Amino acid sequence: MLQRLRKPWSDNRAERLLGAVSFLACLTVACMVVFVAIHAWPTFEHNGLSWLGSGGSLSEQVERMLATSANPPASAFHIRVWPILYGTLLATGLAVLLALPLAVLSSIFIVELAPAPVRRVMIIVVRLLASVPSVIYGLIGILVLVPFVGAHLVTSAERTSLQNTVQLTGAGLVVAVVLLTVMITPIMVALTCDALGAVPAAWREGAAALGVNRLRAIRAVTLRAIRPAIVAATVLATARALGEAIVISMVSGSVFFAPRPSDGAAFLLEPFRSFASTIVDFREGLGAPALSATLYACALLLLFSAFALSVAGYLVKLPMRKYQVKG
Amino acid sequence: MHRIRRIAASLAAVTLIGSAVPAIASATSVITISGATASYPLVQLLAHKYAKLLHNKVSFRISQGGAQIGINDVAAGRVTIGDVSRDPLSTDPPGLVFYPIAKYAICVVTNKANPLSNLTEAQVQAIFTGKDREWSQIPGATATGTIDLISRTSTAGVLTNFKTLFLGNKSVSKLAAEEPSEGLLEQQVVNDPKAIGFLSNYRADSGTVNPVGYNGVGCSLANASSGQYAAVARFYEVTKGKATGAAAKFISWIDTSKVAKKIVASQWIPD
Amino acid sequence: MSSTFVSDSLAAIPPRRGRRSSLRTWRWSDRLVLLAAWVAGLSLCAITAAIILYMGYRGVQYLRPGLIFSRPQVSKDQAGSGGFLDPLIGTALLTLIGIAIAAPMAICSALWIVEYGHGGRTRQFLTRIVESSIEIVAGTPDIVIALFGLAIFQLHILAFVSFVGEGGGVYGKSFLAAGAMMSLIALPPLFVATRDGLQAVPAHMREAAFALGKTRIATIRRVLLPSVRANIATGITLGVSRIIADTAIVLVLLGETLRTEPQGGVPGLGVLRGTGSTLTSYVYENSPAGEGAAPQKAYAAAVVLMLFVLVLNLAVEWITRAQARSSGSIAIAGGIV
Repeated sequence: MLQRLRKPWSDNRAERLLGAVSFLACLTVACMVVFVAIHAWPTFEHNGLSWLGSGGSLSEQVERMLATSANPPASAFHIRVWPILYGTLLATGLAVLLALPLAVLSSIFIVELAPAPVRRVMIIVVRLLASVPSVIYGLIGILVLVPFVGAHLVTSAERTSLQNTVQLTGAGLVVAVVLLTVMITPIMVALTCDALGAVPAAWREGAAALGVNRLRAIRAVTLRAIRPAIVAATVLATARALGEAIVISMVSGSVFFAPRPSDGAAFLLEPFRSFASTIVDFREGLGAPALSATLYACALLLLFSAFALSVAGYLVKLPMRKYQVKG
Repeated sequence: MHRIRRIAASLAAVTLIGSAVPAIASATSVITISGATASYPLVQLLAHKYAKLLHNKVSFRISQGGAQIGINDVAAGRVTIGDVSRDPLSTDPPGLVFYPIAKYAICVVTNKANPLSNLTEAQVQAIFTGKDREWSQIPGATATGTIDLISRTSTAGVLTNFKTLFLGNKSVSKLAAEEPSEGLLEQQVVNDPKAIGFLSNYRADSGTVNPVGYNGVGCSLANASSGQYAAVARFYEVTKGKATGAAAKFISWIDTSKVAKKIVASQWIPD
Repeated sequence: MSSTFVSDSLAAIPPRRGRRSSLRTWRWSDRLVLLAAWVAGLSLCAITAAIILYMGYRGVQYLRPGLIFSRPQVSKDQAGSGGFLDPLIGTALLTLIGIAIAAPMAICSALWIVEYGHGGRTRQFLTRIVESSIEIVAGTPDIVIALFGLAIFQLHILAFVSFVGEGGGVYGKSFLAAGAMMSLIALPPLFVATRDGLQAVPAHMREAAFALGKTRIATIRRVLLPSVRANIATGITLGVSRIIADTAIVLVLLGETLRTEPQGGVPGLGVLRGTGSTLTSYVYENSPAGEGAAPQKAYAAAVVLMLFVLVLNLAVEWITRAQARSSGSIAIAGGIV
């Protein structure tokens, strides 16, 4: 048999082998969805979709789940995770909102405006920012930013006015959003820069020939042309921000609280939790079946949101197909 | 080329089989432990010493999460021993056996910039249930403004004991920040001059926070050992049914050996 | 008369490449955007400089060579708690396992898609599925991959990956388990790099090989793979930097023991089935988010981690610069996504 293996392989055999290995990836994704869904099923069985609604104190519900180990009664599965959903949407939304203009402006700077040596430095800078581990962002956040915010940005008036609702310690929305923005900007910058570089020079020269100044040309022509790339970058950045668990777990204050815009400026200083950070915070509690089902349900939600984002990105890019620029 | 490959392959096979033979002969047993963050330093020291004494015939895997996690894991058969920092409750799953290994004191702590020296029982209850929200209502405190309550998540045994020993079974205010570990609670108190929380004496004595006296007695290892300080609780090792095998030997070593007692006495109170 | 003279002399001046001369004719909104772009770019530089300088300052404060070579000890204070040799070895081990599993998968998938992926409708549909799956894996948060790993490795069929606890429950956490999930993290960058490299190989190289009578598989082995070596190297470097930076999978799937604890008697396999820690979990556990007992050690380990990341970045930069010199493109995204 070794002799047979040592002879040159036929194309058919090689193709089948390569194809089989390629389908391992598909198999993995399918298994991922199936297993996570199976473990998450008890939560949906007992709560249905109102699982995402609001009602009752989330920390009490989690405490009840932790107190039941094997064979929990049906009442143990009751949970309403609205504060977590709200916290996730808030942190992700604000981060993407801040990162989008920052990324687009930086890309314009790198590709169009920077002198050559500065451009080389910027490319290194962006790559570096993208590869800094999230635990280091979290470390700097919890040891530098959180005490700074707690000592200088939280005023006594705010603390007193909220003292019967929630505690403001500095760990909260603003530090989490700032760190998330810094983490997702390099991804967006990378994709936007590549797209900017792919815009045909003839288009910009045409605008220049019409007497439009450089920045106007960028706004009117180039930015419009790279819209598919900006959409792709936003989708990727949102997926990254949604799934970021470690940084948020370290700097968000870890309280099941839905920050209230009606509190004015204090809104940004209030603590929260996201789906990913809840999973990390309670990862030791996976032995309690009720809590394990809830955490897997959070994971399933994150998985589906990643799918949904890709599909949404694809749909948004469809009408932009008429531009020939690679998106 | 082919000859080199054949020789290399046979060498690798021989090395693998040759190294496996003596190793298979000496089997190591594994004890898995999970549970309280308050007893983690003690159990880690004990496990480390025990493994060294047995020339690494026993290896330990110790993880944390809180006393309730330890109870859940040991009841589900996921770990051999659960670290628990509170007394057994009626809601605990049946069939668990609690072996006490040490005692520890619970101290109320504040930031070092707020050197509060003593609190009475009534004051502690008023603060932690959320009745008193301002530092100005607490005599002896130099901090001003709102009191920042730092507590533990519901899995913590220290929290259960705190409620029993200090709050007369009342609940901690919902406003309190819930930290998943002692270390995090300590860090929050260190970072925030207006914070107040509670820690086991191992952390409260470390010099980073200000331990507050309770009902006139300072919270320190000496006072707790002598019995003067009242808020003292137990660490337990919990097994499903009576402990057997390597776990039973480890627990009985903790109970009887002088070396183990020395380790316990270094920062905790022998039971 | 004079105006034509002025414009003639102006025309005689060779046009400057810069834009300063024309800035005066711009509207205020355009100047604002220009300023904003400069501020955005420079603030990114400032943030990076701040992170690197701060970590450098903490490193000079806390990092000692002895820490890298001593094993972690159990002790109350920082002075006796030893170094982080075990976490370093753990990081290296996880990286090896992750790349060992991901590299064949990624290269085979890329080869299949580029070489055999063209043809009829079914073939293109299958290609689409494989590419979408890898994109989905790329977009999945690492915490979800960690939970998935826990779900499958706690099944009894896969108990050999870790061990079975006293009460009959499979532990599910070991180097093999974490390494297998790390391979999913490293797969997308490797795949994309290899696929792009293969697509960039000019058609005439394949045609020449076919004209000489080589089969497809022989072409792949002798012609294509050697020519995409640089891309594979870039992909592997990117995969490695993603693996060493990952924390969530390590926290859930590696058992979080301070030292490497082998499982069972066989020396090599025992470590693989055992638990341990990596630099990232060491930083997390020693930071205020974990047990907070040793922020100085957390800083020291974080600095070592940053150094690895910097070195890997330089490696990617060097490889892509060498490639760009021969192909002439600013390939930034290839280095990140």
